[in-house]
Amino acid sequence: MARLGFTVDLERCVGCMGCVIACKAENGTPPSIHWMKVLEREEGEFPYARRTFTPVRCNHCANPPCLTACPTGAIVKRADGIVAVDQDVCIGTMACMTACPYYVPYRWDGEDGYFGKELVPYEEEKYSKFKKGTAQKCHFCYHRIDEGRPPACVESCPADALNYGDLDDPESRVNSLLRQKKHFQPRQELGTNPSLFYLTGKGGGTVGGGR
Amino acid sequence: MSKGLTDTKFIIDFQEQRHWDWKVAFYLYGAGTSAGLIFLELVLRDLGVVDERVALWGMWIGLVLVLLSLAALFDHLGPGARWAFFYVFRKPRTSWIARGSIIVTVLVFLRIMVLLPSVPGFNELPWGEGTFSGVILRASVLIFAAAFMAYSGLVLSSWNSIAFWNTPLLPILYIGYSFLGGMAALPIIVLVLGGEAGLQVAGPVFWPSLLILLLANGFVLLLYVWGMSTGTIPARESVRRLVRGEHCWSFWLGVVGVGLVAPTAVVALILGGGLASGSNLAVVFAAACVAVQVGCFLLRDTILRVGVYGYPV
Repeated sequence: MARLGFTVDLERCVGCMGCVIACKAENGTPPSIHWMKVLEREEGEFPYARRTFTPVRCNHCANPPCLTACPTGAIVKRADGIVAVDQDVCIGTMACMTACPYYVPYRWDGEDGYFGKELVPYEEEKYSKFKKGTAQKCHFCYHRIDEGRPPACVESCPADALNYGDLDDPESRVNSLLRQKKHFQPRQELGTNPSLFYLTGKGGGTVGGGR
Repeated sequence: MSKGLTDTKFIIDFQEQRHWDWKVAFYLYGAGTSAGLIFLELVLRDLGVVDERVALWGMWIGLVLVLLSLAALFDHLGPGARWAFFYVFRKPRTSWIARGSIIVTVLVFLRIMVLLPSVPGFNELPWGEGTFSGVILRASVLIFAAAFMAYSGLVLSSWNSIAFWNTPLLPILYIGYSFLGGMAALPIIVLVLGGEAGLQVAGPVFWPSLLILLLANGFVLLLYVWGMSTGTIPARESVRRLVRGEHCWSFWLGVVGVGLVAPTAVVALILGGGLASGSNLAVVFAAACVAVQVGCFLLRDTILRVGVYGYPV
């Protein structure tokens, strides 16, 4: 079985937020919920100051702390490594939110839409998939994955900064990128073994991450 | 007015823990203090420090306290989803919350079992005091009470997402504060029951024990904060928020001043004979013990609030 993973090329990301919008459009997340974010940071000082962009999302960790923290079993991990929330089982303890060192999950307690109390038909349709009071997080667009399509964020990235693929397949696109470029996993010292790799420059390294 | 993506600023910075608020703090305080209370009621009664009436009332008050704290926890759950709360027991193999939920449920059940023979109409139950099954029942209560006191710290310290919580000192601190809260509840109960009768207020066991607990908890708290101040960057940021940041009033005034220093001074005066005996003495004792309760709650609340996540990358 495949083990799906992501690569994010920090040299290529221009901070256009295309992935954020694509995720919103695909999944119709309410205003307070962002499954995909692009964090900004200013580095250095004038005249050498620059702004860096870091796309962050659920890392679908091999050892997800949210899964072990959840008392209800609402966090499930598929055979392909995708970590998702079963809204029918979640009771909103916020254990996953507190346990996740990447502060990825949200709890949706219900709210207005982007245009006020009255929801537009698109919002009505999309919000109906969110169960009030339960945790929400990126699910790797598994509905698209199951159809053989890439996640919305990957598909929309104009700079080809985002890629995905099978970390267990040495010939996959992500492993090819990992061979070509230096990379690191976010907060890997915590032992979560994220399935997300940030590419930082030429050099390359081991493929597939640890298991 | 429409809400755009620009309403949300995505910047790399420390993220304050806001998911677990005062309701969880009240649960940790209420259930922890209740566990400490039941532990002490059973032990101190055997030692003759409290009489049967105080012990019985302590058990009832402890039961009410834990039920109130469970109500707060229930309110903390997701609106709409909370009625499926029984799912919380499903993953005890990995989740500390599931383990704690089981422990506190069993503890409530056992406590009701212990109390039932004192209710008119149930006096003939076979696990009454002095019976073998009664001894087993009380021993079970002690074990589960101790387990809950440890759990209330372990649930936080088991996660490495928030460095300020991720230390073995936290369960020790929470066990200490559970005992402290339980012990400080006794003079309040005695006062409510009408005076000093039954509790050896100036006796050789209670006040020295309370003083030792106050000093020991103060020492562990100092050790904890000092240890965190030399820890990782997020842990140091939490310490900064605790001692100099927006939560410093809650910490210095509430946890340290009201919760530790003031009651320590009162107890020291009692032991040193600095407080003359009189009708108001019981009120002074009880006021000091209410201050301890305030400190016990604020400790949990402040520790939850100052927890920060490190950078996500």
